[in-house]
Amino acid sequence: MASLLDAPKPRISCSMLSQYISRAVCFVGRVEKVHPTGKTFTVSDGEGKTATIEMNEPLEEELSGIVEVIGMVSNKGVIMSTTYHILQEDKGIPFDLELYNEALKVIHDFSQYYPFEVAASG
Amino acid sequence: ILNIRKLDGGNGPPRFRVMMSDGRHTLSSFMLSTQLNHMAEENTLTPNCICILKRHVTNILKDGRRVVIILEIDVIKAAKDVAGRIGDPTPYAEGQSKGPQSAPVPENRPPLQPQNRNEVNRGLSREFGKKAPSVMPNTPGGSSKVVPIASLNPYQSKWTIRARVTNKSAIRTWSNSRGDGKLFSMELVDESGEIRVTGFNQEVDKFYSLIEAGKVYYISRGSLKIANKQYTSVKNDYEMTLNGESTVIPCEDSCDVPMVQCDFVSIGDLENRDKDAIVDVIGVCKSVDDITRLTTKSNREVSKRTLGLMDMSGKVVTVTLWGEEAEKFDGSGQPVVAIKGAKLSDFGGRSLSASFSSTLMINPDIPEAYKLRGWYDKEGHAIDGQSLTEVKGGSGGGNTNWKSLADVKTEHLGHGDKADYFTCVASIVFLRKENCLYQACPSQDCNKKVVDQQNGMFRCEKCDKEFPNFKYRLILSVSDSVSVHPENYIYQNKCNVQPLQVGVMHNLFSFTFIFRSCPLTWIKATVMDVKPVDHKDYSRKLIMNIRKLAANH
Repeated sequence: MASLLDAPKPRISCSMLSQYISRAVCFVGRVEKVHPTGKTFTVSDGEGKTATIEMNEPLEEELSGIVEVIGMVSNKGVIMSTTYHILQEDKGIPFDLELYNEALKVIHDFSQYYPFEVAASG
Repeated sequence: ILNIRKLDGGNGPPRFRVMMSDGRHTLSSFMLSTQLNHMAEENTLTPNCICILKRHVTNILKDGRRVVIILEIDVIKAAKDVAGRIGDPTPYAEGQSKGPQSAPVPENRPPLQPQNRNEVNRGLSREFGKKAPSVMPNTPGGSSKVVPIASLNPYQSKWTIRARVTNKSAIRTWSNSRGDGKLFSMELVDESGEIRVTGFNQEVDKFYSLIEAGKVYYISRGSLKIANKQYTSVKNDYEMTLNGESTVIPCEDSCDVPMVQCDFVSIGDLENRDKDAIVDVIGVCKSVDDITRLTTKSNREVSKRTLGLMDMSGKVVTVTLWGEEAEKFDGSGQPVVAIKGAKLSDFGGRSLSASFSSTLMINPDIPEAYKLRGWYDKEGHAIDGQSLTEVKGGSGGGNTNWKSLADVKTEHLGHGDKADYFTCVASIVFLRKENCLYQACPSQDCNKKVVDQQNGMFRCEKCDKEFPNFKYRLILSVSDSVSVHPENYIYQNKCNVQPLQVGVMHNLFSFTFIFRSCPLTWIKATVMDVKPVDHKDYSRKLIMNIRKLAANH
């Protein structure tokens, strides 16, 4: 797990989950529903699709707004989260999730110009 | 009908004055319109017949009395079938009539239709849509008929028009070797057209306070002359001057006189018009900026506000409002804005300014406004619009001319006759801390550092003059992601630079430049605007470019 965290994690959206099973990813989305146990919650991406996040430990705080989750995609398409952080939107500039999604698509469509993995290993 | 009296019309046809009763009141302020004279002459209309007043118009005389002109009336029961006067009507308070006359009160009579109440009269006249010119009501007392504005010419003096005042100017005074004077001007519009009117000296005293913009008046006997088209966009070969014989009488029945006459130019077409042209435009206010205050050369403070106007051509033009109009303007909800007589300038390419002789209308009640509203709500709101005015960059909505710094060299920006405007995102690479920002001479092309005289004045040695102000100049090296070598630029900041901003290095700023030609390797750019990068806007632009590039391959 530790090595997984060190390597750069591709940013993905819901539609790409199936391609990243058993891989570490970074997912940015808007918190939808938090399960009463606090161990799992759903997030929606810029395309409106939803993904489920499972936590190692139950959430200790109120989760809302935009979060960035780092974790591994299980074979059921659930992101087993190791860490997360909330993206602050209180500086007056709201996070544009749709725009983020557009950028994601560009990065994936032209991945040859965005060699993240190469940069990290160098 | 109680009574019909024939009045000799002098020069014209006889008029018949009618006294009507509705069983409760009498009113003798009814006049039969001349085309119905035959009804009286042939005894179709006789005292005691019962009729329905179908069409009429109400005029107000000079002394405030009301006259109802009967335009269409039907007899439903001839006088011979009626047993004399019905009811015991008393004269209506506002009318002039003879004293009440006693009469038998028969039962079971159909109620009479003619309305005596003047308020209802006005209501009826509202549905009184199109009338043929021959049915135009005669002006009270006068022998001239109402004619359309389009027919006015210098060769006829006895005319009356009925028109709405669309634009009344303030009183302006002058004083020269020949003496003093004052004048005011206004624009009139009716169904046929529009005309510009000026009143001088005594006419100012007579009419200025009487006339209100937006209201309709009967105006007669002004003098006509060839129009001076330089100052107005009013479409008429002639313009009118009020003189000693002119009369201006308020008209109550104004519903069918149009509110305004405009010949709108499509915003996309503005590029083809000459600068300094005076045009009428209409569009949706897509964006509006905050109000700013400037000090003019004569040290007056004036308010200014800019807004972006877009129409169905998909083009956007920046419109500048001044003074009170700027302060009062509310652009929320993307209103439809129409401007009559806006001045076109070549600032930033093409831009418009509302001057003191322009008329600004918000959501006017005209068909073009409704068309625009429908179009904008359906599709227009989604269009970004291509701006004809390249002044500010970076903010969403306007089209900005993005270039990289290297493009400046390769495209030889700034070497043409016109100034080139462009925007680029760059990072401040280098600043000489001590000398980067200094106070420079405010003269147009002089950039010499001024000496603070410590008395509120600043002295420029080169110009050999003192000034009460200065402009900030900033020397920076900027680099963008494309340039290999940081380029050296002299910047002259038109807006007030906050010295604090200078301290922030290595942040991306969006610079909007105007490039002027300069033979040296130093490229002189005037920074129009510096903002921290709007990341969203910039990201969108980048994504769009990437997609476009991909599509082209």
